[in-house]
Amino acid sequence: MNFKIQREALLKPLQTICGVVERRQTLPILSHVLLVSDGEQLNLTATDLEVEIIASTKTESATAGEITVPARKFLDICRTLPDDCHIDFKIDGERAILKAGKSRFTLSTLPAADFPNIDVAEEGKSFKITQNALKSLVDHTQFAMAQQDVRYYLNGLMLELADKKLRSVATDGHRLAMCEMTAEVDSIDAKQIILPRKGISELARLLDDENNDVEIEIGNNHIRLKFDSLIFTSKLIDGKFPDYQRVLPQNSDKNLVLNREIFRQALTRASILSNEKYRGIRLLMDSNTMRIVANNPEQEEAEEQIEIEYAYDALEIGFNVTYLLDALNAITTENINIALSDSNSSCLITAVGEMAADCRYVVMPMRL
Amino acid sequence: MSNDRCPVFWPRAIIHVDMNAFFASIEQRDFPQLRGRPIAVTNGHRGSCIITSSYEARAFGIKTGMRLPEAKKLCPDIIQRPARPEIYAAVSTRIMLSLQDISPDIEVFSVDEAFLDVTHCQRLHGTPVRMANMLKKKIFAVSGIHSSAGVAGDKTTAKFAAKLQKPNGLTVIPPWEARQRLANEPVTALCGIADGIGNFLAQYDAYRCGDVGQLPIGILARRFGNLGRRIWLMCQGEDPDNVHTDVPPPKSMGHGKVVPPNTRNNEVLLTYFRHMSEKLASRLRRHKMQAQHFYIGLKIQDGWLSMKLNLAHPDNDASAIFKLCRYLMSNRWQHQGVFQIQVTALDPQPSDQQLELFTPQREEQQLRNAIMDDINQRFGELTLAPARLLNKSDMPNVIAPAWKPNGHRQTISLTQEKETLKKPR
Repeated sequence: MNFKIQREALLKPLQTICGVVERRQTLPILSHVLLVSDGEQLNLTATDLEVEIIASTKTESATAGEITVPARKFLDICRTLPDDCHIDFKIDGERAILKAGKSRFTLSTLPAADFPNIDVAEEGKSFKITQNALKSLVDHTQFAMAQQDVRYYLNGLMLELADKKLRSVATDGHRLAMCEMTAEVDSIDAKQIILPRKGISELARLLDDENNDVEIEIGNNHIRLKFDSLIFTSKLIDGKFPDYQRVLPQNSDKNLVLNREIFRQALTRASILSNEKYRGIRLLMDSNTMRIVANNPEQEEAEEQIEIEYAYDALEIGFNVTYLLDALNAITTENINIALSDSNSSCLITAVGEMAADCRYVVMPMRL
Repeated sequence: MSNDRCPVFWPRAIIHVDMNAFFASIEQRDFPQLRGRPIAVTNGHRGSCIITSSYEARAFGIKTGMRLPEAKKLCPDIIQRPARPEIYAAVSTRIMLSLQDISPDIEVFSVDEAFLDVTHCQRLHGTPVRMANMLKKKIFAVSGIHSSAGVAGDKTTAKFAAKLQKPNGLTVIPPWEARQRLANEPVTALCGIADGIGNFLAQYDAYRCGDVGQLPIGILARRFGNLGRRIWLMCQGEDPDNVHTDVPPPKSMGHGKVVPPNTRNNEVLLTYFRHMSEKLASRLRRHKMQAQHFYIGLKIQDGWLSMKLNLAHPDNDASAIFKLCRYLMSNRWQHQGVFQIQVTALDPQPSDQQLELFTPQREEQQLRNAIMDDINQRFGELTLAPARLLNKSDMPNVIAPAWKPNGHRQTISLTQEKETLKKPR
């Protein structure tokens, strides 16, 4: 196999897939990328056995064949070659030779036949959604996923298909984020799937704010997405996601509307003097004012005051300020709505306006 | 006593007080027949390791950490005394509280040592030397125990000074003399510099404190970071460390126990693990803490067999911790002989601060634990405990050198205090 290709045509797909390659692994071949040419098109594949990304690009000339080369080194060479140069790649015995201008590199290879595929048990059923809608589902919720929790089913993003809607839900047991979009999902029975954390962070990187369609195929143990010139495949987490509907607050009797940016900035300032480890802050609401108070072990204190419309009983409630800020950063509208009931019950944060129903954020309080 | 009349205000004045042969002195105080006799305090009657000994015993060359049979060779008349940790804790608490009358800036350094920052008391009480005498008198008045004091301008020099005259001594190293007084002392004579740092300094031919001051500070900073910079200053009598008046939050909290050598019985080991789990859980609860990550270990012939295990949620329930011990026993232990066990909470944190979305709040379990804690608070540790502990070891509790009257270091509960202290004379 050999091919000639313009640097940029190779660099972009390589950068796209190389995020999947783990820096350390036990199987040497997992540090390689698979290159497959049909004489015209070049397919590049990277995998960590959980997530696989295939990117395709056009070559200038090529002969059919396949080989694997070390991913990181291949990427670094392409990245550091001068702009617009032409790369000449060919195989010589057990080595791959890469030439560009006056540069020449000899890379080790491993046989393409040894490159592992993600085993997809059966073809799944598919539906379509626009790329920006999918990006929105991921971006609005992924921050709430758990990290290395023993409840392994929380270390990922749950996608739910039901009632002509595609819904994403993430939670770490302390806060929960959910977002929903209309989608033509009639061809598939209502179901919930959980994508692993790594798959979600890669996917978030790949998705653009474009209006084109993404084809989503869902099987029993995998999800496959096709968009642009990419095929993204991820295994699913086999587990039961907790009943998130049950923890959406239903009986909040106190509603307040806040300017998102003013609230966000006040929280950010107050958080400087909160406990660095536990990040607790107190919100004290009373007749049309909200005070935000933070203390740290050094006995330092921050206090912020915001004028609000509040005609309920006084309430003092503590939160991890990071959870509030994460939710405020995910919402894009000018104002937000916070629904509260008492200092031991969760609060619900939503956008005010068109997006109101799309995204919901639930945060459990802290006892401070 | 020329220092006593010195009219100069010290820019910084630190006093280190150290109770002399603390545990042994309390035994001699309470049992007059022991006075003037060589005694060794051990853990119960069966313990053979000497926790501390009286000055009369030390005259024979007996040292802390020595085994009893070895001590008997040096001093056949040595008298073994079982430790009474609750009494020691109570006496220590009484002493430390009384020292606050002289300066509120007190750091309880261990069960029998404290640092006091008396810089701001000079106008009130007089010279630092006068205050050191007041402290020694105070300690004797409330406890009947003699102490040694070191007076200096920084903690390290004060601790060094306190060691110079024992028992019942008082040594003054004014800040302006500290550099010169330390210059010819070996670096390892300072508290906090042991063989590791000593060997590093020896590579640069720095054996005495004065040599260290000649080295560029960067050499120490590169190797030990901020600690290195502190050591460089310490060696010149300028230890910048403050007297820490609050107990910092614990980085870990654990209990361990020596088991009969070469124990291979699964049930016996589980009983020890249950015992340590109960102790750790109730200590976490006493300080309103919980933890999610635990170190569980077994000491066998070749070293420690251990695992770091996680709970689904932070907890302070003994059964939850014990389950992790069982996991280690069934997954790592292959019937090797065991010598010691350890259960440690690696991330103690305030309990039930962050409320959970999904966990059923464990109210029943918490209520049960609270009732058990109340009963044990009143009638003594483990009065109410799981049935398995009927077979637990009857080895008494050991008081840790790091014991403090406040905060999480209070491993010996003060509730069972039956102090036999006589009226101060």
